[in-house]
Amino acid sequence: MNGQPNVLEKIIAFVDERVGLKTLQAKMLNEPVPGGSRWAYVFGSVLLFIFIMQAVTGILLMFYYVPSADHAYASTQYIIHEVDYGWFLLSYHFWGSSAMVVMVFAHMSQVFLWGAYKKPREMIWLVGLALFGLVMAFGFTGYLLPWDQRAYWATTVGVEIMDKTPIVGDFIARFLKGGPTPGQMTLSRFFVIHVMILPAALMGLAGLHLFFFRKAGPAGPFRGSSEELKAKTDYFFPRQVWKDMVAMAAVFLTICSLAFIEPVVLLEEATPDPGDYHPEPEWYFLFLFQMLRLKIFAGEFGQFLAGVAIPNAFLLLLAALPFIDRNPERNIFKRPIALVGWLIVMIGILVFTMSAIINREFLD
Amino acid sequence: MSSVKLGLAVAWPAFWTAVPAKIVFALLLLAAGLHPWEEAGLVLLLLLSIPVDIWALSVSARTVFLERLRLQPPDQLGLTLWWQGALLNLVYLPLGYVIESSTKAGAKAVVEKILEIELLKGLPVAERISVELVLWSVPSAVMLLLLVLGWLFLFGWIVRRQTAAARASDESYQALVKQWDLMRVPADQPLLLAVFAASGVGLVLLFWAFMPVTTPHPHELYQKEAVKVVPPVKPAEVLQKTEKLIAQAEVAVQALEEKAQEEAKAQAKGKGKGQGQAKDKGTGKEAASPKAQPAGSDAKAVKAEKAPAATGQTK
Repeated sequence: MNGQPNVLEKIIAFVDERVGLKTLQAKMLNEPVPGGSRWAYVFGSVLLFIFIMQAVTGILLMFYYVPSADHAYASTQYIIHEVDYGWFLLSYHFWGSSAMVVMVFAHMSQVFLWGAYKKPREMIWLVGLALFGLVMAFGFTGYLLPWDQRAYWATTVGVEIMDKTPIVGDFIARFLKGGPTPGQMTLSRFFVIHVMILPAALMGLAGLHLFFFRKAGPAGPFRGSSEELKAKTDYFFPRQVWKDMVAMAAVFLTICSLAFIEPVVLLEEATPDPGDYHPEPEWYFLFLFQMLRLKIFAGEFGQFLAGVAIPNAFLLLLAALPFIDRNPERNIFKRPIALVGWLIVMIGILVFTMSAIINREFLD
Repeated sequence: MSSVKLGLAVAWPAFWTAVPAKIVFALLLLAAGLHPWEEAGLVLLLLLSIPVDIWALSVSARTVFLERLRLQPPDQLGLTLWWQGALLNLVYLPLGYVIESSTKAGAKAVVEKILEIELLKGLPVAERISVELVLWSVPSAVMLLLLVLGWLFLFGWIVRRQTAAARASDESYQALVKQWDLMRVPADQPLLLAVFAASGVGLVLLFWAFMPVTTPHPHELYQKEAVKVVPPVKPAEVLQKTEKLIAQAEVAVQALEEKAQEEAKAQAKGKGKGQGQAKDKGTGKEAASPKAQPAGSDAKAVKAEKAPAATGQTK
């Protein structure tokens, strides 16, 4: 009223003078988005949001979880039964990991279809691929922690597949297991990797990813002349921020709903005897698991081919993509090989995942 | 712009704009103990969705009119598109459901017949499942795609009818964008964030206010197993029982051994008598017969066989 700044304004001015808060805000919110905001650009922000929520719920779970073979199962049961809404936290964390995998696939697909991996964005693509590997590793290591039959056998199957890798496979398998069969050492190692190494690596690489992204700038839509794109160019705030917020809210509420409708239910405590349980990995590895069941991949060499050689060759191909595909054309409808390739991979994953679910009925 | 593109340009963002609000309602219903996909919960969710859909259609259609078509959106655009779209859905969705389900059923029946061919009967299970899935899902997916395109065409036609009532805008693109922004987002940046945060806090409070009252804790799926009281172990009693069992087993084994010896003796006598008659035939059979084995080894085999089973039982 009297033109004098109030206490809050004084505090903000104090921090701004020392940190450059307003410059930071302007840099973050006033990033130009070529061609204007789009729903297709929300996946990166949503991934960051899911990761933050996974970190928050993960820390809350760690207050009660005991990473020892004797207590892991009991402490998870304690979280479910005794901790106030512990079941909700655990289920949110569980469904959050699935949401992260879905979003990574969506984000990578968007970047691939938009041709946003091409020059000068090769580094963003490579770091993104490394982040994809980290997300899968998060899912794999986190799966063992409840120490039930599902956790134990999914890990056993996963480690056996890794063991088939030439030269380093044996070392990785021995390092992860820490003994002939999964036990205390395995749990300790998976826990440390899950809560220390992977989050640190993810934070570092995500920062690098964002830095490269800001350096190269958003790719923008693949259609339209440079004049049209210039005319439509908008700032990150408010339109893209609004879309990101809507997408984050949708994802958050979906995960909450899934936690309510399908909360995590533990199986029996882990034992080296599978009993009636048919070991299988988490749903996002099911397509690979089903491929291993095919007769053409029977035998030691076939299992190596389907479990190790093909997935790794595919990842290598993805890493080499910006250097192989040097055509500056970004329009996916003018890149038939890329479009057909993407469709084959997506349909293949879908068909094998569905087949694995149907196959489960045969086994039961 | 074609009708399909126009329909997609309005319906797709409208769908995503409405989704978060609908999930909020669904979540609040869940917290209040009502399942949003059953009876009262479903009716309530559908009713609550009506204003949300009208708002979402209004937002996305205005954007398309201003940005893509450079037209000033007519009044009540969202409401008009909603009721006309609702009429279309009333006819199209049940029809589409019937067509899609009969295509799927027909494709499945044909695939089953194909897989009964002698040549394909030997397919391993994993391969058979994938082949079957691909064969029936391809025609079903194609039909679904056609149905979606049909719906988009008709909805686009409804949107196109509204463009006739709209007047052209001669403002610059930036001015249109600003107009659109001001229509739904306040120009004041901190105000937008404050409103968004306040709505979030309000919803969280509502959520927690509902949940402890109506949601059982822990979740209804987590039924605790009844605790089985294991009788305390008394070492002296266990030892006595085990000793008794061993003594009984020893007596039984001794009886078996004696019986086996007597049988072996009787057989040896009979063999001596009939040796001249069946010189070549008898030897092979006798060697294979367990009765012909030495008594001691027989008893050991019985013991060895029983041991793991017994431990299993005790466990």
